[in-house]
Amino acid sequence: MILNALSITMIFIGALSALLAIWGGISSLILYRKWKRPATPEEKTSLEDRSYLILLIMVIVLVVRLINWPLFYVTLQSFISDIEGAMCIFGVTQVKVDLTRFSEILKPITFFFIGAWLILHVLDRATKTSPLMRRKLFLLSIISLLVLIDSLGDIFLILGIAPESLVSCCTTITDILNRPTRTTPESIFGPQYARFLQSIFLITHLALIGFVGLILRSKKPRRAILGFLCLFSIVNAALFLLSQIEVFAPRMMHLPFHHCLYCLWQYVPDSIVMYLLFILGTFSVGWGFTTELFGRQGEAADLLPGCLRKIYIGLPFSFCRRL
Amino acid sequence: MASNKRWIALFVIFVIISLGSGCQGERKSIEGRCDYDGAKIEPLYAVYFTLQDGTEKNFCSIACASMSFSALKKQIKEVRVVDEPSGNKINASDAFFVESEIVTVPHVKNRIHVFAKKEEALKHIQKFIGNCNWVEHPFLL
Repeated sequence: MILNALSITMIFIGALSALLAIWGGISSLILYRKWKRPATPEEKTSLEDRSYLILLIMVIVLVVRLINWPLFYVTLQSFISDIEGAMCIFGVTQVKVDLTRFSEILKPITFFFIGAWLILHVLDRATKTSPLMRRKLFLLSIISLLVLIDSLGDIFLILGIAPESLVSCCTTITDILNRPTRTTPESIFGPQYARFLQSIFLITHLALIGFVGLILRSKKPRRAILGFLCLFSIVNAALFLLSQIEVFAPRMMHLPFHHCLYCLWQYVPDSIVMYLLFILGTFSVGWGFTTELFGRQGEAADLLPGCLRKIYIGLPFSFCRRL
Repeated sequence: MASNKRWIALFVIFVIISLGSGCQGERKSIEGRCDYDGAKIEPLYAVYFTLQDGTEKNFCSIACASMSFSALKKQIKEVRVVDEPSGNKINASDAFFVESEIVTVPHVKNRIHVFAKKEEALKHIQKFIGNCNWVEHPFLL
């Protein structure tokens, strides 16, 4: 294990959120099952009190897990100097390849579901009768499972990265001629694939902005359209990644043959802001869909159009503020 | 509503400041680094390309330089490498290249060593006998 302030913080957060995720997940599942059963007014009050306590604690845990995603990369960045052969985060990921890859895939998924749940929670809190409470509790128990796996993954990874491990870094993997990010578009578009990727990147981004604009103009957007938009944003995200690796990252770094995104964050730190905005934008589209999917019930249904509007305008932080 | 505008204004200011400071930092950080992958250059293992227009490209290792060489071949006027025993810059055409189990630049696992004198290269080969051999000149113009 590499001991520094960040690794200790990661382990502390991991251990704490794992414990609270077990407690919160089981409690929310129990409450979910009890919620619809007939109960006396005293039992109902006690149930509500317990649910508010669980929600309060779990909201804090989930917000911490949101912050944990960037913290994960900051921690890996802090390990670079202790790993022989690592010149960027890529080198650190090579120490425990499978576990790191698993964490890197799980973290955005967890981030997305936590964001979706928090928006649902804010929508429910704006109502007087909490019509989404049962769904919220059920979804919380699922998200708690994700949080638990993610937290354990963090702990094992941080403990498993041994100092002075010898690794090869990005140059030997991301820059080889037969890398899939090059061969796949090249087989479709030919040798001029970079120009096509650049054009497609611009077209899909403008199309996505256009679609969101159309949704903002309609008073009651249909679920199918929001679902389509969600799928489109996933395709757009894949194209974004591909074009970043092959076209934009080498240009931004002024290193025409180097295609490592971790190096991009290191050499061009302002690209992190761009990535952050892209992630929030893409996830906002998905959050719009999940809010429509789970939030159309009772009193919450009346507040839904306004809520969707706020999500699509790109103000997810306006929701955080309300928590 | 006014509160929302305040948040937006704060956010925009944050983005502008980040972009401004980031652009300045970027220029500083890329200077003196490898022109292939941006890694810090250890002078003893560096490779220098002088292009036809007089500009110079610096690389952290033989591995990075040889990966750039094919793309830049037509523009290159001169390639200089560093003699490992003395640390002197020499013309690549006069150098001897040897591959051994000793890694010089870990992030690319570069095992190619450069020598100005054949005797020094032979000494290295004898030191690591069995795991050491001559390498074809990687920078033939």
